[in-house]
Amino acid sequence: MNITSQVTPERIIISIEGRIDTTNYGEFENDINKILDTKTPEVVLDCNSLNYISSSGLRVFLSLHKKMMASGGRLLLKSLQPSIKEIFDISGFSSIFNIG
Amino acid sequence: MIREKLSYRIISRLLPAILLLGAAIVTAYYLFARSSIAEHTAANAQMTAKNSVHSIEKIVKQAELIPANLAWMMESGSLERDSLYHFLKKLVENNPLIYASAIAFKPDKNRRLFSPYAYRNDSIVESINLGSETYNYLIMDWYQIPAMLKKPYWTEPYYDEGGANALLSTYSHPFYLIKNGNREFAGIITIDISLEWLTQTVSSVKILESGYALLISGNGVYVTHPDRNNIMNHTIFTRAKEMEIPKLREIGRSMIRGESGFDTIELPQIGKALLYYEPITSTGWSLGVIYPYKEMYASLQKLNLVIVILSAIALALLIIFISTIVGRMLRPLTKFAKSARVVAEGNFSAELPQITSKDEMRELRDSFEFMQRELTVYISNLRETTTAKEKIESELRIAKEIQMGMIPHIFPPFPQIKQIDLYAMLESAKEVGGDLYDFFLLDERNLCFAIGDVSGKGIPASLFMAVTRTLLRSLADRDKTTATILSEINSTLCLNNDSNMFVTFFIGILDTTTGDLRYCNAGHNPPVLIKSGAKAEYFEITKGIPLGLFDDFTFNEQFTKLNGGDQIFLYTDGLTEAENSSNELFSENRLIDSINISESRLPESLVKDVLRSVKLHVADNEQSDDLTMLSILYKRSDEDNSKGKEAEKSITVQSDIAQLQRINNWTEERLSRLGLPEELGNTVNLVIEEAFSNIVFYAYEPGDSEKIDLSLDCEGNMLVIELRDRGRAFDPTAKKDPDTTIPAEEREIGGLGIFLIKKLTDSVEYARIDGVNVLTIRKVVK
Repeated sequence: MNITSQVTPERIIISIEGRIDTTNYGEFENDINKILDTKTPEVVLDCNSLNYISSSGLRVFLSLHKKMMASGGRLLLKSLQPSIKEIFDISGFSSIFNIG
Repeated sequence: MIREKLSYRIISRLLPAILLLGAAIVTAYYLFARSSIAEHTAANAQMTAKNSVHSIEKIVKQAELIPANLAWMMESGSLERDSLYHFLKKLVENNPLIYASAIAFKPDKNRRLFSPYAYRNDSIVESINLGSETYNYLIMDWYQIPAMLKKPYWTEPYYDEGGANALLSTYSHPFYLIKNGNREFAGIITIDISLEWLTQTVSSVKILESGYALLISGNGVYVTHPDRNNIMNHTIFTRAKEMEIPKLREIGRSMIRGESGFDTIELPQIGKALLYYEPITSTGWSLGVIYPYKEMYASLQKLNLVIVILSAIALALLIIFISTIVGRMLRPLTKFAKSARVVAEGNFSAELPQITSKDEMRELRDSFEFMQRELTVYISNLRETTTAKEKIESELRIAKEIQMGMIPHIFPPFPQIKQIDLYAMLESAKEVGGDLYDFFLLDERNLCFAIGDVSGKGIPASLFMAVTRTLLRSLADRDKTTATILSEINSTLCLNNDSNMFVTFFIGILDTTTGDLRYCNAGHNPPVLIKSGAKAEYFEITKGIPLGLFDDFTFNEQFTKLNGGDQIFLYTDGLTEAENSSNELFSENRLIDSINISESRLPESLVKDVLRSVKLHVADNEQSDDLTMLSILYKRSDEDNSKGKEAEKSITVQSDIAQLQRINNWTEERLSRLGLPEELGNTVNLVIEEAFSNIVFYAYEPGDSEKIDLSLDCEGNMLVIELRDRGRAFDPTAKKDPDTTIPAEEREIGGLGIFLIKKLTDSVEYARIDGVNVLTIRKVVK
């Protein structure tokens, strides 16, 4: 798993690459939280290169979403691979998240 | 062909020179001859003129004597007046030169004219008194002029029509008588001389073909001329005007002034001509001779023509001569050319032309002979060397086969040991090389492996390599440390190592049951360690020094532990130092990169992927060093699992979430072995991960390191996943499904894993059998 970010005052774009599973979701969460320290109105997760996610990863996404909503911000998911989209659909996350 | 060309070239070079030389000689000769002819002609003209003048003068002088004598006779009184008729008659009769003669007396007091006169009338001579009322001689030139000048006088020539009917000239000579003691002028004595002889004399002067002589009077009147019409009718001046030749007028003037000289004149019909003129002093006339140039030089021109014709013939003969001689001289060249072709075809004993002369041709023949001898020797030497070289090459091939036979090259090498997957390759830059790798089992679980690189290349390196490998095989022992083994090999290699060769060496002994790896390095490149699920990195090892240098060097053994999925990749510097055409090395960084981008973690594909990267880097550049790679994948560090086929169906892992990587690898391999599509991998991985992490988190306490069995198999079109653990009883299916419809902020974090399992598969069953939790998950597959 590897993440890269692009920070502007209006928006943070985070590109996720590789797998998010039980072994590394904690690391992922830490990395995201480091980037999210600012009060940015919009966060975009670019999932183009994310090729695997398990429930642990989904949980991080959910907690991130909650955090954003609490601060009045917005979380947007972008470019989901079909297999990942399927997991989102099955888990009902598709209806929770803004998927673009 | 070549012969003809050469003679042609010689002639074409010589010809202009010969022509130039010939032309120069002919021209010089011509000019000389011409000037000589001109000189000669001038002399000749002068002589001819002088001769003619002389003979004219002689006659004239002779004629002049007659009146002079008469005058003397008159003065001395030896002639009577009455006898004068008779005397004159006799005089004329006796002198064929004289046409007529008169003695004209100065008139007396009665002014009577008296002049006895004798003249020829046909063949007889008659005499009369010239003086009459009708003919007053006192006013005639012939009387008046000498009477006044008191000097003899030649009249202008004149044509005596009706009388002599001939061209005449009168010579008048005054005479004196003594009266009263005084010498007084008494009259004029004349003789008329026919000038026919003069014309004949002058006409008889024959000059070449069309040249001629001419005579002009003191007034410039033509006295003789080849064209009779000119005589007495024209003067030289009137002709000069008519013919528009001003120069002729000039010449005429000089002539009547009594001068002599040469001149060149352009005349009609005759053309350019040489003119010489000489005066007849006594009469005041002038003689000219004309030499036409054309005729003067006619002989010369004829001669020239002959010379040109002769030169042409000589030149033609010369050309024939030269080409024949050159052809004969160069004939051997054709034979040499033929011989050279025969030699080129491989027959060195080609016949050479016989050369008897001692010139360059002989030298060529000697060189040719020498070449033939040397070629024969050279080829025979070459044949020997080639045979020897072929022999060496064939021996080298055999040596290569032997060398390759020394290192193990059957893969997989130990099918009975499931924990190990191993692949190696060695590609020599030359027939035989100095790289080596080796691996062998020390007992049923300890694998000894090594890689080395002998200094230098070729046969010496390969021999040293063979020695090293033999020593390794004989000295390796599971009870020795790797450092001891290296020290022993080192001391043996140092003995009698006069050639100072050395070998960098890495040795490792892997306990295949525990993953314990003991290793020792002797100056070899650090191997690459590819930890399961992580990026490749270099081993951190003590460098050491190569074997064969110092026999008392102390090597140190190092330890590490390999986990399931860990791979160790060994190589020689031929890999990292492979150069492309820009002299860029493949380098350690590129090696790591190429390992990381390799999609496979299986040793064989990894080695082949790296080799492809190296070849891509090197491109067309020649391989400069041996390429050697050895990669060992440690598949599991668990207890000896020798259940054969069963081992493939299931895997036993520790209850540690870090085992997930290993599980994933195994799952992928298992699915591919079951012939299931790759796309299924993510789903099955997810299902297993969720189930496994549930067990790790809920059936065991954190930090426990208990065992979990996982199996994966197909029953018809059903994929069956089974997980067994000995943790506390825990039924994940009992957990209530989360409500996926409620808003995010109300959703609970957790409980999602088992829900996903249920959604992604077709059935999930839990059972507790003999203290073992058994979770069976089924999924329909195509």
